[in-house]
Order: sequence, then structure tokens, then C-alpha cells
Amino acid sequence: MPLGIRENICTGFWGTPTSSKAAPRSSSVELLKDSDLRAAVEVLQRYDLHSVLEEWFTEVLQTDLQANIAPEFWNCIGQYENTAEEPQCSLLLLDAFCLLKCRLDPYLNSLDLLEKWTKMGLLLGTGSQMLREKVYTMFKAILFFTTTKTFQEMIQQFYSRTFKIYMRQWKKGEDRMNTCESSMSENEQESDMEDGGGDGLQCMGCSSKKEQCWCPTAMEQFQQLNEILHRLNLLERVSANAVTTILHKMIEERMERRCRGEYEHSFLNEFQEWIEKVIGWLSRVFLQDSPMAHSTPEASSTLKRWRCHVQRFFYRIYASMRIEELFSIIRDFPESKPAVEDLKFCLERTNQRQQLLSSLKSALEMRLLHPGVNTSDIITLYISAIKALRELDPSMVILEVACEPIRKYLRTREDTVRQIVAGLTGDAEGSGDLANELSKADPVTLENGQESDDDISEPEDWLPDPVDADPGKLSSKRRSSDIISLLVSIYGSKDLFINEYRTLLADRLLHQFNYSAEREIRNVELLKLRFGEAQMHYCEVMLKDMADSRRINTNIRDEEEKLPEEERPPFSLVAVILSSEFWPPLKEEKLELPEQIKEAMEAYSKKYEKLKAMRTLNWKHHLGLVNLDVELADRTVSLSVSPVHAAIILHFQSKSTWTLAELSEVLKVPVTSLRRKMTLWLQQGILREDPQGTFTVIEEEQKDLVEKVVLIDSDEEGDSAMASQADQKEEELQLFWTYIQAMLTNLESLSLERIHSMLKMFVMTGPVVTEIDIQELQGFLQKKVRDQQLIYSGGVYRLPKNCS
Amino acid sequence: MKVKIKSWNGVASWLWVANDENCGICRMAFNGCCPDCKVPGDDCPLVWGQCSHCFHMHCILKWLNSQQVQQHCPMCRQEWKFKE
Repeated sequence: MPLGIRENICTGFWGTPTSSKAAPRSSSVELLKDSDLRAAVEVLQRYDLHSVLEEWFTEVLQTDLQANIAPEFWNCIGQYENTAEEPQCSLLLLDAFCLLKCRLDPYLNSLDLLEKWTKMGLLLGTGSQMLREKVYTMFKAILFFTTTKTFQEMIQQFYSRTFKIYMRQWKKGEDRMNTCESSMSENEQESDMEDGGGDGLQCMGCSSKKEQCWCPTAMEQFQQLNEILHRLNLLERVSANAVTTILHKMIEERMERRCRGEYEHSFLNEFQEWIEKVIGWLSRVFLQDSPMAHSTPEASSTLKRWRCHVQRFFYRIYASMRIEELFSIIRDFPESKPAVEDLKFCLERTNQRQQLLSSLKSALEMRLLHPGVNTSDIITLYISAIKALRELDPSMVILEVACEPIRKYLRTREDTVRQIVAGLTGDAEGSGDLANELSKADPVTLENGQESDDDISEPEDWLPDPVDADPGKLSSKRRSSDIISLLVSIYGSKDLFINEYRTLLADRLLHQFNYSAEREIRNVELLKLRFGEAQMHYCEVMLKDMADSRRINTNIRDEEEKLPEEERPPFSLVAVILSSEFWPPLKEEKLELPEQIKEAMEAYSKKYEKLKAMRTLNWKHHLGLVNLDVELADRTVSLSVSPVHAAIILHFQSKSTWTLAELSEVLKVPVTSLRRKMTLWLQQGILREDPQGTFTVIEEEQKDLVEKVVLIDSDEEGDSAMASQADQKEEELQLFWTYIQAMLTNLESLSLERIHSMLKMFVMTGPVVTEIDIQELQGFLQKKVRDQQLIYSGGVYRLPKNCS
Repeated sequence: MKVKIKSWNGVASWLWVANDENCGICRMAFNGCCPDCKVPGDDCPLVWGQCSHCFHMHCILKWLNSQQVQQHCPMCRQEWKFKE
């Protein structure tokens, strides 16, 4: 190889390659004319040696990078440890990169030259693009294979500072443009004041004193650094990490500050705008802001990628936050509707349904489904959840999956049905929701029959179920988002609800003695629309009984008025006359009423028999309501009491002192329950107990005595006139007993599970569906074992020998 | 002490004065109503025959209408005559 030529090229490219490290290298490309170099290359080509050129170039570059440039650069960066001030630090960073640029510029120039030659066909080349890439890779590999922590910190600090300054400037510009649209931006300024430490003397951007503000300098440095990195194609390598971290941190911070706990606005648009601002900053980083750079497709695709990334990141973070807060959002629904809509929007773009489901489920279990929460509150929240989640996910899958724990839990609460029914009729406080829902137009009829998929109107509207849907369930069934149907279906059958409603209705009718129950009639009509005529038939008869009773009472009173004065009864007796077959079973209690009352009832019955041939009355002595005045020596007390109370006080007319035992004897009421009933009169200050078990009338009030009376809760109001749910269940189970006996007679011995499954197969499919779960059955069978009607041994039940 | 009752609201259930619980034809309770009716009492009355058996009016009428030749009480096979 002709040495002269090699040296020629060498100096042509880099000046003297052996120039000392410390001395600034000056490019000596100018010294040699382009044409000289070309001549040299042509010489090489003549000897067929031009292929070596590229290899040799990379070799020299690599050596130089390893030996000189990289140590020099990192040395420069290493000085950071001595600098405390931020502006100095960024200056240092810039200097280091400037130096790096100076060192690498000649190589890049040469690279240009090499490319030119390749294009002209002077060099073989392996494709010039390849060489360029190789060079860039080498930069990255040798210079930034490992970066020190301090370097990363510096970069991060630098970018976050410029980001802050940029956002500040942008805002200023915007404020100037629209000062009139102040409410929002003021808000924003306020919140930014806080994190700017704003005492007015500090610059918001660089957080140093106003007079020392170095914002413009910083922005200039920012510009320069980006240019250098761009030139060296190191932008992504050096700053991508920092930029990502900054953006993530900023988004998170901003969201935390503005959105947490705030459900009544939608934040999507606001954040969209803000993200556009951020993109503006990004374009400063990646596009150099020069009109020329805008046109390169490479850069704009980078920007596009970043925009996409920022948006996705925002959606994910925002959705996560809302998912975390979903319980509160549901609680505040419908005020929190914007938040729900935001979440819906984000969920469609991120894959977070699973996260939502598990988070909501655990939130529900933690905050709602424990013994400390009232059933009515659980129901209220469930209703909210239905409303909110059907907004969030019209396919109702989230609702179905996430609320399954609520439904399961409600099943274990005894008063669930009662609460729901009370809510439906508008009795329970704070649950007007259900009553409203009931009176909504166009109700969904609760049919037992299965709906087919065919009745979905438009085939084009069909959408597949989301992946997390339970494949075992029909989608059409799931889509019935009607709140009442959902609540009623907690127990799987509507009979339970109808029965409960009947009991509730009976209670109210018998406690209020309101013969014209308009509200009840309305409720029954509304329920009829839901549950069907047949189901509500009993309730209708009950209401009709009330109306009939009123007519009969009027009839009888009219007749009484025709009688001469002295034959009239001493007080007016009116009655509610029930069709016993249609009312829920009434509680049976024994009570012997005083003679005068019995006579009055006798007389009433007579008149009734005259009115309705071949029919008579069966009085429920313990039920009813008595209005009476107790006239004492110094005062008169007016009260409405139950018949038992009335009977008690009536007895005190003839004798002013009774013992509990005596009273129990005449009234035929057990001592324990009688004692409870006495409390009312003690509380009223009409009787006193002295000594224990002996009651005397207080004819003349003595203030001090009244105060001594201990107020005992006489749970009178809560007393239902109906037989308890447990008693009724017992009766239902009795029905199963016949079947169980038959089974055991035929098959001798069966396990609990077998009995249950057989009952399920044969009994529970009948027209009268009575449900029984395995625990109930076990309890029932164990009771039978205790009663010696059944033998349990070795895990199976058998009938006793003598019984078959 | 004197107690003055201003009004007494009592509760009673009505029942038919019959010698049986259920109607011999439809097996439903007398105090309920026949399968065709919805409302008991006046709307679905009982009737007595001279044989002293009684049925829901609707039930016995349906029975009597289905008899071709002679009309018998379904319980005792005596000739059916309404008790006046």
C-alpha cells in the first residue's frame, strides 16, 4: 500500500491523528482540497484497495472513542459531584456534550464524505446506510454502554426543569391570550402556586429568585443539547428514559392533585388538552422546532409514537385510579356519573377489566359485606351499583360478576327480603329509590319462563359478550338490568317476596285500621304489573276485606242509631273482618277479654250473622286497637293501646290492686308476657308496682314517683301480628317430611346429599316451588333425629324400625 | 279510676257455619272460594241441600248441570233439593 496516499487520506480526514488529547482538535478538512482526496481514493481504487477504506475508518473511530473520547466525556460528567447549583450543573452537562460533539464532528463529516463517494461509485461500500448505522451503534455502545447514576440524575433534572419552564411559558402565553376565560385558569394557577412554593418572589419555572431567573438560559441550553443529541443520533438513548419518567411522574402528580376524590367532573378533555401541551414540549425535544425537521418522516413518527405512549399511559393511570375509587364512585352515584363515563372511556382502551373486577370485589368485601353494616345500607349500595355499573358496562357482565358477593351475602341476612319489600312500598327511610323504580312507567314483568335469544330486535345490533362473561348464563337474561328484577332474583324466586309483602301489608292494615288504604291499593296495583295478577291476588282480597269491613261497620252503626238511647252499646265497636284463607297466618295468642267487651263482640257477631246469612265471626281477641280515656282523681289520660293493655286497665276499675298472678289468671295470659305488657301502664304513671308483682293504681300523681319508673323497652311497635317467618318455614318443611319418609321406606338409608338431590329432583320441580338448601335440610333432619323420628348413623339417615 | 272506651277496633275472621271444612266437589276450603272465583264470601256463596250437605254454589251448579237424568247430591246420592 502506498504509504503516501494513506497519510494523505489520514490527514485529509482528521488532520494529524496523533494530535495530543488535551489540545483542541481543529478540523483540517479545509486544509486539504476535496479534489486531492478524491485523487488519493482513485489511486487506491486503481490498486483495488479501496475496500479497506471503510473498515479502516471504523477501526480508527473505535480506537479513538475507546482511548480518548469516552474517558474525556465521562471525566467531564464526573465533575458534577463538585457542583451543587442547578444552573451550573446543566451548564456542565451542556459543556460535556459540546465537547463530545466537537470530537465526533470530524468523524461525522468524514462519514458524509465516504457516503458521497460510495454514491459516486468510487467505493464499494456495503450500502452506505449500513456504515452510518454502524457508526451510530458504535457511539451508543462505547459511550453509553453503561451510564452512571449521577449522569442519569443530571439528565433527569435537566429535562424536568426545562419541562417546568416550558409549561410555565406556555401557560403565560395562554393566559395572555384569554384573560377573560379566567375561572378555570385561575384555578389552575392557584394549584400551581402551591407546588411552585409561590411567594411571588420566585420564578415558577426555575424556582430561583425572580431577579436571578435563568429560564431563558435553560431553554437555550435545552435547545442546544437536543440539537447535539440529535446530531449524534443519541437522543433516544440518552433522554428517552428521563423523558418517560418525567412524563409519568407529571401525569401521576397532576392526576393525584386534580382528580382524586373528585367525581363530578369529567377530566378527559382537560387532560387531553394538557397532553397536547406536553406533546408540544416533546416536539421541542424530538423535532428541534425547526421547519426543516418537521418534514422528516422519521421524527414525526417518533413523535407519534410518543403521543400514543403518553395517551395510553394516561388512560391506564386514570383508569387505575378510578378503579381504586370505584366503591366511593358507586356510593356517590348518580352525582359521580362523569367519573363513571370517564372510566368507561378508558376501560375501552386499556385491558383492565380484570383489575376492576378483583379490586371492586375486594373493596366490597372490605367495606360493605361485614356484620357492621345495616342490611338497608347494603341494599342501597347495591342499587347504586346496579345503576352505576350498567352505565359502565351495558352488557352487564361487570355487574353480574362483581356484585355476586353482594347477592351471596344478602342471602345470608335474615331481614333482606323485609328490607327490600319495605323499600318497594316506600316505608324504609332513605330508600325512595325502590319506590320510584316501582312506579316507573313500562315495567318489566317478572316472568318465570325463559326468554329466548330470538327476541333481540335487530340482528345487526348483536354484540358478543365480553370475555369475562359467565358462559353458563344467557346474555338476554343478564341484560335485564331492571333493579327490581335484580333484587328479587337474589333469592331466585319471587314467591318469597310476595309472601313477605303480604305479611307486611297485613301488619300495616291491622296496625293502622285505615279502612281506605289508598297507598296500599296503589302499591298492590304497581306490584301487580311486576309480579302478575295471580301472584298479587291474595293481596287484592285483603284490601277488599278492608273495604267490605268498612261497609259492614257503617251498616251496623246505622242500625244501632235507630235503637233508643238506652239500648245503644256503651262504646262503638268496629271490626276488620278477614277472609282467613287469604291472609297470612295470624299469631295465635290467648286473651280473655272482660265481660263487657265480650258482650259487645257477641252483639256485633249477631248483627253480622243477620247481615250475612250462614256466616259468623271468629274474633281475634288479642288483635286490634283501643282508644280509651283513663280518668283518674286528678287527671285524664287518653291513649291508643292494644286489646291486652286495655283488658289489663279495665280490670283495675273493679279493684285497684292486683297481683301479677291474679291478673294472669283472669286474662289467661302467661305471667312473663303479662309483665312485659304492664310496663306501658307503669310508664304512663297510671300503675305502680309495690311490692314486686303487685300493681296499684296511682290515683293522685306524685311527681317524684314517676321519675323512678324504669323505662323498659316494651317492643310493642315492632310486634308483628303475623306468625314469624321461621314458623312458616317449619310448616313448609313439613311438606318435605312426607317425601323423605317415603324415600327412606323404599331405600332404607340415604345420605344428606342424596336426600337433598332427590328432593330437588322430585319435589322442587312441582308447580308450588318451595326451595330448601342443604343446611336447612340438615337442620330439619337433625330436629327429626332429636324427636326420635329418624336415626342418624354412619353418615346416613334411616327410619326407626317400628316406624315402617 | 274509671276507664272510658271511646272506640274498640277489633279483628275477626268470618267463616261459614258449615259442618265441614272443605267443599266436597272442589276440595277447596269453604272459607276460600271455588276454583273459578277470585273473591270469597258474597261472590262465591255456599248452598245447602236438604240432605244437609253443602257445597260452593258454583260447584254444585256445575255438577247438577252435568247430570243428565236425575239430580243427586254428589255425597249421599239422594235427590238434590236446595234447602230453603
